[in-house]
Amino acid sequence: MTAFDSSSLPPEAPIEAVVAVAPGLTWGERLAPFLANKLAVLGAFLTFFFLVVACIGAAIMFVPGWSDLYIDQRLRETLLRPLSPGFPLGTDQFGRDMMWRIAAGTAVSLFTGLAVTIISMFFGMILGALAGYAGGIVDRVISAFIDLVWGFPVILVAVIFVGALKPGLTAVILAISVVNWAGFARIVRAQVISLKERAFIEAARALGVPSWKIIVRHLVPNMLGTSLVMASYYIAVTVIAEAGLAFIGLGAQPPTPSLGQMISEGRNFLYVNPWVAILPGMTIALIVLGLNTLGDGLRDIFDPHLRRS
Amino acid sequence: MARTIVYRSLYAVLLLIAASFLVFYGMRLAPGDVAEVLASHPTGQMTVERIREDLGLNRPVFVQYGTYMRELLSGNLGVSLVTGEPISEILRTSASYTLRLAVLAFLLSIGLAIPLGALAAWKRNSLFDQGTMLIAVIGMGIPNFFLAVLLIQLFTVRLGWLPVAGYETPKHIIMPALVLAAEALAINLRVVRSSVLEELGRDYVRTLKAKGLSNRRILWLHVLRNSLPPVIALAGIMMRTLLGYTLIVETIFRWPGLGYQLVNAVLKRDYTVAQTLAILLTAAVIIFNALADLLQQWADPRTRGKAGA
Repeated sequence: MTAFDSSSLPPEAPIEAVVAVAPGLTWGERLAPFLANKLAVLGAFLTFFFLVVACIGAAIMFVPGWSDLYIDQRLRETLLRPLSPGFPLGTDQFGRDMMWRIAAGTAVSLFTGLAVTIISMFFGMILGALAGYAGGIVDRVISAFIDLVWGFPVILVAVIFVGALKPGLTAVILAISVVNWAGFARIVRAQVISLKERAFIEAARALGVPSWKIIVRHLVPNMLGTSLVMASYYIAVTVIAEAGLAFIGLGAQPPTPSLGQMISEGRNFLYVNPWVAILPGMTIALIVLGLNTLGDGLRDIFDPHLRRS
Repeated sequence: MARTIVYRSLYAVLLLIAASFLVFYGMRLAPGDVAEVLASHPTGQMTVERIREDLGLNRPVFVQYGTYMRELLSGNLGVSLVTGEPISEILRTSASYTLRLAVLAFLLSIGLAIPLGALAAWKRNSLFDQGTMLIAVIGMGIPNFFLAVLLIQLFTVRLGWLPVAGYETPKHIIMPALVLAAEALAINLRVVRSSVLEELGRDYVRTLKAKGLSNRRILWLHVLRNSLPPVIALAGIMMRTLLGYTLIVETIFRWPGLGYQLVNAVLKRDYTVAQTLAILLTAAVIIFNALADLLQQWADPRTRGKAGA
């Protein structure tokens, strides 16, 4: 398994050869531990399935005329149970089709997850790499910022942001990013600190390669695997946080559909038709399960040393 | 250790000042003129000028911050701009509710996790072990707000045993405490189980067995005591996480604690209450972080001397 780690390469290997994450392995060999892990395959399948659902959801939200599918109210057909004729997943309290509403809500959830994760990865990687590479006072200042926000309860930060802005997706995305970048920065900083002692980085420095080029060409490619693993976990965390905030009324506001908001509204109709709350809840649980198990599988590929206990 | 405590406390004070200023400044960025928003509030009886004067909104932000903190520290918290109730009064009642809920959830998560986790490790791979780990997977995989809906569906709608929300009787605290404890319980279960498993493989266990001690004595007296440091190290982080979750759980169950009051104040744009509660909860998080660090070092002497890194 150590073959995945560039440290096991002979020190005289040319610099360029060390850049790839798993040199000398075919894709089949790389994917083997992933395919052997049944849960990881399930995770990949679930994630792919919900990505397709999200694309359909985004399409019905943005293609003119299609939005009737999830917005149209039929007041004669409210709170139908799943498997009713014409409504595979039933209808909500306004007679809106649950299937299309869940698709649109999934699109909003995954969009939020991706947006937050891209923003936090961008800032986390830059600041983390800078802190780890530069060291000294730069490291101390950035580390203090990381300490300040890392591990801060996302919900509390989001509530403060909503107080400063107004309830809605923008405040939610900003708030979760403000906390999550520190998670990336911590890991990237630690990785850079250990990588920069490696022979191939020292060799590049000795050859006079400029710092920015070392970071871009050598450090970043070596960190992509870990970052991908972290990204899948962080998207899951973000999906939960977004839904939680929408649930208590601080997230996406109607008419923007959101799974958390659907659960919250469905709560009032548990006696009539509990499915209006349970189906969107199950959707969130399955999205999170898919992303987490996918993350576990990816970690086995990129980071065999870092198995969860 | 004494030096570590002093160093970590000073660092916490620095973070407290920075964070409280950020929250204070953030609330000042609220959209629109706060004074006008407040004056137009149906229950408010104050004029725009009066509010500006009261809040000192016409002075520079640093001066405002200084005045605010001086008042805050001397216990003069002002009044709610929506209800006119003194904030100190709101704080006193809601803090006692949050404390009751959080302490119960904390005790529940630790008190159940230690015996169940230890037994699961002792009877490794038994049905009991698998059942316990299933609880752990559910507790970590289902978002707390969805767990709340499922519990309401079961205990209120189906069985009619527990009230759906509120705080009037002792029964009202059961569901919020369970939901709040769920994730911490799941994490603690896994930590206790793996820590006990690790201890069971050590030499002294074999020695004790050879001496003829009963299995029960070995597990509950010797192994368990040695397995606790990781749980203690986690306790600080658990408190911080629980504090963040109170915002969601209290809102779901309309439990009138600090989290519920803060979310409500933000939604009603009750600016003074939101600001004070946000700063106090932020301070609590920073204090818990410092405590978590110190607990970690006390529980695991190997990490001593690396304070605040």
